[in-house]
Amino acid sequence: MAVVAHTLTNGLTVLLHSTPEAPAVTVWVGYKVGSRNERPGITGATHWVEHMLFKGGGTLKKGDIDAIVGRLGGKFNGFTDTDFTIYFETVPPDHLDTALMIEAERMRNAAFDPQETEAERGVIISEREGGENNPKVLLSEELWHLAFHAHPYHWPVIGWKTDLERIRRDELYDYYRQHYAPNNAVLTIVGAFVEEEAMRRVEAHFGPFRPEDQPAPLAVTEAPQEGERRSVIRRAGTQDHLMIGYRVPEIAHADTAPLLVLQAVLGGWHGIGLLGGPFVSRSNRLYRGLVDAKLATDVGAQHALRRDPGLFVVEATVREGVDPTLVERAAGEVVEKLRRKPPTEAEMARALRQIRVWHAYDRDGPTAKALLLTWFEVIGGHRLLDDLLERCQSVAPEDVRRVADAYLGEDNRTVCTFLARREAR
Amino acid sequence: MTDTLRIALDNGAVLLLHEDHANPSIAIRGSVRAGSAYGAPGVAEFAARLLLRGTTKRSAASMSDAIENLGAALSSSNAEEAVAILGRCTPETLKATLRLLTESLATPAFAEGELEKVRGEVLGDIRAQQDDTRRAATRRLSELVYSRDHPYGRDPKGDETSVRKARPKAVRSFHGAHYGAAGMIFAFSGDLDGETFRSTVAPAFEDLDSGSPPKPLPAPKSEARANATIPMAHKTQADFVAGRAAVARSHPDFYALNLANLLFGRIGLYGRLGTSVRDTLGLAYYSFSSLDARLAGGHWSVSAGVNPKNLVKAVKAIRAEAERLEKEPFTEQEIRDGKTHLVGALLVNLERNPEYSGALHDVEYHALGSDYLARYPALVRAIQPDAVRKKAVACFDPDACSWVASGPVAGMKIAF
Repeated sequence: MAVVAHTLTNGLTVLLHSTPEAPAVTVWVGYKVGSRNERPGITGATHWVEHMLFKGGGTLKKGDIDAIVGRLGGKFNGFTDTDFTIYFETVPPDHLDTALMIEAERMRNAAFDPQETEAERGVIISEREGGENNPKVLLSEELWHLAFHAHPYHWPVIGWKTDLERIRRDELYDYYRQHYAPNNAVLTIVGAFVEEEAMRRVEAHFGPFRPEDQPAPLAVTEAPQEGERRSVIRRAGTQDHLMIGYRVPEIAHADTAPLLVLQAVLGGWHGIGLLGGPFVSRSNRLYRGLVDAKLATDVGAQHALRRDPGLFVVEATVREGVDPTLVERAAGEVVEKLRRKPPTEAEMARALRQIRVWHAYDRDGPTAKALLLTWFEVIGGHRLLDDLLERCQSVAPEDVRRVADAYLGEDNRTVCTFLARREAR
Repeated sequence: MTDTLRIALDNGAVLLLHEDHANPSIAIRGSVRAGSAYGAPGVAEFAARLLLRGTTKRSAASMSDAIENLGAALSSSNAEEAVAILGRCTPETLKATLRLLTESLATPAFAEGELEKVRGEVLGDIRAQQDDTRRAATRRLSELVYSRDHPYGRDPKGDETSVRKARPKAVRSFHGAHYGAAGMIFAFSGDLDGETFRSTVAPAFEDLDSGSPPKPLPAPKSEARANATIPMAHKTQADFVAGRAAVARSHPDFYALNLANLLFGRIGLYGRLGTSVRDTLGLAYYSFSSLDARLAGGHWSVSAGVNPKNLVKAVKAIRAEAERLEKEPFTEQEIRDGKTHLVGALLVNLERNPEYSGALHDVEYHALGSDYLARYPALVRAIQPDAVRKKAVACFDPDACSWVASGPVAGMKIAF
């Protein structure tokens, strides 16, 4: 993807990818702040700040962002993750300036009206409670909580409920002012626009902002795992679930490419973006070993791309009437086989082709392209995605076996099981 | 928007193309009128789930290997009216992907072993739905609005009994009766030119048997208002849904009602409903409305996910917003904003090939005319503001709505 990169004097990184024939233009701003930047007591602050940035400030009154983008027929949203927070508007091409104005106000002028902050507390707790209704969300929260003792990946992005009930408006505002600065952000524009004119408008909207002193880089290093960790959630429900998380290195590590290929071999590949669609991969080790064996009804493998060392997650939904320990054992055997013997040539060819072809599917349309550029810029650099996928093409079968052996061992794993108590049905 | 190429084959299948060479990929959106409305409970679900899992020539494993070795993707899923088929491929793999797709459509195996796997999947899905406050409430609302006598009121998956009874013979028989090319629609969007479309895509579908054209579904009867609670003591959040019968997609009131629904519970952060229930009162993460307009009928609904202690307050707030439509009808500005939204969204939403192929498919499915996308802005501009206001008051009448509350709601006194 031909991307033109600029850096404003205040430190704002600007990425431009013009596709004049596109029916829309999309503006994304990513901030290098996520739940990894929080501390105990204010967990969930990053996500709460994201919510507050839809509530006006500067020239925008409450409700203006949704009204303005709404009347244009545009799309807009925000996402908070462990490592970043991202916002976007996709609008018809002649409204680029409107999207830039919204993002500029959002960067430095958000209102954080005390009454609005309080009203949002209920919304966020409701969002958290909606997640608590879902066994897989509960299980994932438990998995990361148990796998990380010291690193902030220990807590969920949405935060602990006790913190959400307590956090004060001023704590949120201070957090916002510290992290929402041009020198901690990337602005991406993709779609139908003219580069020179776009840069003039970017300078006009964002140029006057001053950089902020950024906090020292996160100094927490999680100690190596020295033995398996386990947890069981017993709760009323209808299905048992299994999640196994293996500690793996950060995205910048040389083993990320073979780990992505390992993911494709183990659990299939549906692209790296968020727009994969409803497709189910059935030509992978876990599906063949667990679903074809009638032990599970669905399976998955995901190498979570993180700034800091994270988890490679294997999961399964246990088929009715099957003992979950059999599913765990079968998943363990699938993994063990890959630790001992490299994938076949046919498996490698399929995995590498899927990774290559899905990269095209992932970049379909301005919004999807901008998502990838912004996401990767804030976690490691926008060129990292193309580099990574290119490096995947050079991964050899033995590389896959080596990383499986290095990281997917029993002593390096956390096993969490959701056991549904059937009597509540 | 470029012109659409439309080919109607002799066997009744309709193929559509939107050329867009910006991305080296092709998105496929197809449908076969073989939804649950046309068969015994559960059979259509098995047919759809098994469609891409082996043919008379190759096993399920060999089929999935063949698809995934190309880097292509195909899926099929069942609903009340039709089976939806989605696909992705590249120009280089188009021909091979179509060969696998049409082989699956014509000669699926419905093998016993695969059916047993699917049985476990469907049972699992039914149980997951039973344990999901939102899905369980939405499912129950469909039963109340349409009744189980109409296909729209029945779960397309069937129930546990029908799923346990499913056998390959019945699924094969259903396929033979309903998977003909007549009524089949396949829309393509992406890196594909008209010449290749004519020379590669059309021949791939030409050999499919025509079969019988799909029979029209009966219009749903008007059902009396009813309500239900689904207690799930172990859940943290409650879900509330309310709704009533509305119009079919072909009904002349659709455009006014669609705009009214947009303003009430969709635009921006969920319209008037979101502004009140989420933004001002802080009662719910989501609170929105939906208009589901289908071939033979449709329904309108509101949904909210709420902490149980706020449920009564949230339900009152939803009702108040519906009642406000009479006292404070949509303003001229709201209606203007809604219209510009609909016109702008047409452009913005068609930025990706999957969305474009989906839009082309829907235009054909609802017989809106091949120039529909070009006419759409004029259709929107012609909507009369008074019609929007009147339809909103008439349709979004809480006293005409059935409702369902699910979650930790046992013993709660809910009135809507």
